[in-house]
Amino acid sequence: MTLADRRRRACAKLMADVHAIEAKEGITPSTLHAIKLKLVALANKPELFPLSDFTMPAAQSRNHPLLVEDNDGHGIYLTIAMPGKEAAPHDHGIWCVSAALSGRERHEYFRRTDDGAKAGFATIEKIGEVMVEPGCGTSMSDHDIHSTKVVGDRPAVGLSIYGWALTRFPAVSWYHQRYSSTRSTPSRRHVLAAAQAG
Amino acid sequence: MATPHRITIANTGQVIDCGRNQTILDAAIAASIDYPYACATGNCGTCSSRVEAGKISLLPHSDTSLTPAQIKAGQTLACRARPRSDVTVTWLARARQ
Repeated sequence: MTLADRRRRACAKLMADVHAIEAKEGITPSTLHAIKLKLVALANKPELFPLSDFTMPAAQSRNHPLLVEDNDGHGIYLTIAMPGKEAAPHDHGIWCVSAALSGRERHEYFRRTDDGAKAGFATIEKIGEVMVEPGCGTSMSDHDIHSTKVVGDRPAVGLSIYGWALTRFPAVSWYHQRYSSTRSTPSRRHVLAAAQAG
Repeated sequence: MATPHRITIANTGQVIDCGRNQTILDAAIAASIDYPYACATGNCGTCSSRVEAGKISLLPHSDTSLTPAQIKAGQTLACRARPRSDVTVTWLARARQ
């Protein structure tokens, strides 16, 4: 059996475990924690994911699909982000679990503090932080607001599982403390549908 | 403190100051320009812009938000671009309003 076969089998097993957890109890903070433990266990086998099998980013971050289900199924990805790569606080509308293979990525969590009444305006405050590094992971529910930043001088390489494949992501809401603003990017499934419609 | 560079926003004709460690988007928002943006961290491409003149340096961004071919063609991301000279830019998306 090749390494790629072993990797596919390991991802298929993880996906089966995720569906078993979901079928029994649904997606809750508790079951996301259970999924995180499964993902961390997979990430603790770095021999399955040698960097030589994955193209490095042309810029500073890249996602490699490992197992992506059809329709509204889940997606498992290997993610590579270079030092300094960041994402402002955002809510991507669908749950996510991440675990590190190597490097360090700081995840910060926020809550919105305004009432959402004024279009484009938002205030948020930080409520927590997790350093995702080998042996650790993090999970977030559908509408949790979080930011990421690669820290240190090594790329952050990790595994992520999303409730929906990245190509079918819902709209993402971004929050900016320094501007007291919120902006959205459109649902990727609608962008894809519009492109396919010509 | 270094003298700020002058940024011309071709879409509106406004000329604003931008420090060497400030991004073009930060300077535009500080000047109350409704520059299109969303993530403001180099992930989404909403602030994709064309550099008409001048030099910029880029902060980290994702592969999908700005490709090497786009950079070669003179595009940038206002949220990641810091001026290294006086610069003229045109945003390529529509503003919010």
